[in-house]
Amino acid sequence: MTPGRAPAGGLRRAGGLVHAAVAALCLAACLSASVAPAAAEDAPPEPVGYRLDAYRAPTPATLAGAQVLDTAAAAEVWRAGGAAFIDVLPRPPRPAGLSEGTVWRDPPHASIPGAVWLPNVGFGALNADTEAYFRAGLKEASRGDVNAPLVIFCQRQCWMSWNAAKRALEGGYRNVAWFPEGTDGWSQAGLPLVPATPRP
Amino acid sequence: MMRRSSSRTAGRVGLLALALCASLPLTGPALAQEPAAQGAGTEPNREANREATWAAIRPDLFPGKAIAEAGAIVRLDAPGRAEDAALVPLTIELALPAGDPRTLKAVTLVVDENPAPMAGRFTLGAGTRAFSLSLRVRVNSYSFVRAVAETSDGGLLMTKAYVKAAGGCSAPATKDTADSIAHVGEMRFRSFAATGRPEAQVQIRHPNFSGLQIDQETRGYTPAWFVREVEVTQGEKLIFAMEGGISISEDPTFRFSYTPSSDQVSVRAEDTEGKVFTRSFPGGGS
Repeated sequence: MTPGRAPAGGLRRAGGLVHAAVAALCLAACLSASVAPAAAEDAPPEPVGYRLDAYRAPTPATLAGAQVLDTAAAAEVWRAGGAAFIDVLPRPPRPAGLSEGTVWRDPPHASIPGAVWLPNVGFGALNADTEAYFRAGLKEASRGDVNAPLVIFCQRQCWMSWNAAKRALEGGYRNVAWFPEGTDGWSQAGLPLVPATPRP
Repeated sequence: MMRRSSSRTAGRVGLLALALCASLPLTGPALAQEPAAQGAGTEPNREANREATWAAIRPDLFPGKAIAEAGAIVRLDAPGRAEDAALVPLTIELALPAGDPRTLKAVTLVVDENPAPMAGRFTLGAGTRAFSLSLRVRVNSYSFVRAVAETSDGGLLMTKAYVKAAGGCSAPATKDTADSIAHVGEMRFRSFAATGRPEAQVQIRHPNFSGLQIDQETRGYTPAWFVREVEVTQGEKLIFAMEGGISISEDPTFRFSYTPSSDQVSVRAEDTEGKVFTRSFPGGGS
């Protein structure tokens, strides 16, 4: 937990980056503040650490240190451009040990246009390989700038995006937004989704 | 078309499920692969995608083959909504009508939405005209389950059922999994001949790791390790042989029809590490 990282502070630190996306994130923060989350009454409090199991369940209304974007706000940021959208929907790899002829089909996934898909980085604890994959993915998406705006999401009521956004904060990123409605909220709002492939 | 619990077999399937589950873990449905929350907006997408998956996998599973509706020849009983996605009980019943000159060669079980959709292919003994088989499978997300029978003339006959279950392939290992590993390859056999049913059940202790389960220690995926072949014979005669994949539940268990006799029933199983397990049991009849 890093409760000292207030969202507003994070944005101010990004001040050198005069960026449409940053402005959009500010706007988003205002929008979010005025729109109560639909399922606020079901929202559990933030846990002290990462969520370790039962990832498909109601998520908290907040993430200390991050902004929370509803769909309208996320769309605003997306349209403004400049923020890195990070999809963390999990997808298991084809297991070793299947016979060569085994028909294997990765479930197709549609994501927000321009988003980088980093599967399996939202589990509550990561092994060293996945941790390194996440760090490399964020570094690339942010072009190595810890002040770059990041919007982290998966699907509605999925703790994986909450975990990953928290992990990005702990990795030193200062301008992290969590978009809990994810691709579900996005598609229901009539916004476009495109076929996605994971970052290698 | 879609057959869920038909009245004829519902009671039996319920009892069977109870019997099968009695000594088995109830692993909670897992997490990663569950579909989106049951929001009104997601259901139509799922409807539209139901047959799309089949269209995508069918050419790989049955290349160049026509597949007809099975009608009464293939029955498939599946729960509309599974209590435990890692242990979804299914019953396949095959029966050719009187006077039909064909025999039944095999039946393939497909779970459309599982990443390895072919759950198992079951080759039947020569001359089989009727066969029933119950087993438990993992279902990874809301999915059609299909039984595709192959007749001696090469024809394919299909019946399907829709199962609402999620996370079955990635359900975490439990304490009972450790027990399965400790007793790997041990078998239990029971003939129901004495109860008037010409059926038997064999259980092979095996974790049947799907390769999609997270190891709580290493935080990586537990490597796939499963029973890939099972052969059940009676005397010299084949009852059925399975070529299985990662969709078969932990401790693979098969209840099947047979003719009880004094001939022993022998079971040979081989897993993906090449370990071979064999046992023979009394044939349940005289």
